[in-house]
Amino acid sequence: MATTTATITLASSDIADNSFSISNTSTITKAGSANDIVHTTGLTRITTTATANVVLINSGDTAGNYGASAAGGNVITKGKFFIQNLNDRGDGSKYVTLLQGAVVIGRLYGGDWAFFPSDGAAGDDIEITPSSTTETTLEYIMFYE
Amino acid sequence: MATTTATCTLSSADILSNAISLSSTTTLYKDGTTSTGLEQLNYHRLLLTTNNAPTGTAATQFDLIQDSARMNANPANYVYIINKNTDVTDYVKISINSEIIGSLYGGDWMFIPWSDAITDTEDAGDQTGDDSSIEAQAFVHDCEIEYALFHSGELLVTAGDS
Repeated sequence: MATTTATITLASSDIADNSFSISNTSTITKAGSANDIVHTTGLTRITTTATANVVLINSGDTAGNYGASAAGGNVITKGKFFIQNLNDRGDGSKYVTLLQGAVVIGRLYGGDWAFFPSDGAAGDDIEITPSSTTETTLEYIMFYE
Repeated sequence: MATTTATCTLSSADILSNAISLSSTTTLYKDGTTSTGLEQLNYHRLLLTTNNAPTGTAATQFDLIQDSARMNANPANYVYIINKNTDVTDYVKISINSEIIGSLYGGDWMFIPWSDAITDTEDAGDQTGDDSSIEAQAFVHDCEIEYALFHSGELLVTAGDS
């Protein structure tokens, strides 16, 4: 058993007439249960100059680093995924496109982060596509069942 | 211009042999800018029913956040969604186009950038076709959800009776 929490704080003093502030914490558990998730990829940092898709999480993989055939491995299916683009904002035009499967979710500009549940099965890989050959550094971690 | 920050903190004392503690803060800027913050916000709380109440028709996916050419042209948008139910078996499935992104169980939240990469219509009342609308469907029980969209432009539907 392990206890992992994720907290979000959204704050603005001027996007509305009154201050806007949200803070929530969730405990990362298995789907539909109060049992804690006990597996994680650990924190990974990559640097890339590719402009082609880069697979970060090979969902449903049975032969890769987290695959069933690896020693002690576990197939990544459901879980929670966090990623941050560690580049600075630059001129504001460079970003990495975040995808799951073949579907574009959105753009992570320098400094941006995302945290979302992934129901990933085979083919539902989590990928990024950098917008330019500018060296991009990302960190990501997945907590999975 | 507005300044809005989003902070994520992940922590665990025991999922690894050493504690994990991550914290990241970003400021929500417009596309192609270095210091111009997003100025527009939609914030909602609603009951996402499993039976499409009050009509009682079969459960389905709903367009929670509708695509539009305006969103597509301003791709730096950010979406926050939380399932406020306390029963951990109640969940909301979040999808974009044909891809199920993931499920938010009671208490879970998500925060993503959203570029509305595919838009098929300028009519916010038209849910047909393939697009990048953010879709949601409740399972087990009706789910109370809150969601926020930080954006730099949305389509307003022209009044038909003016």
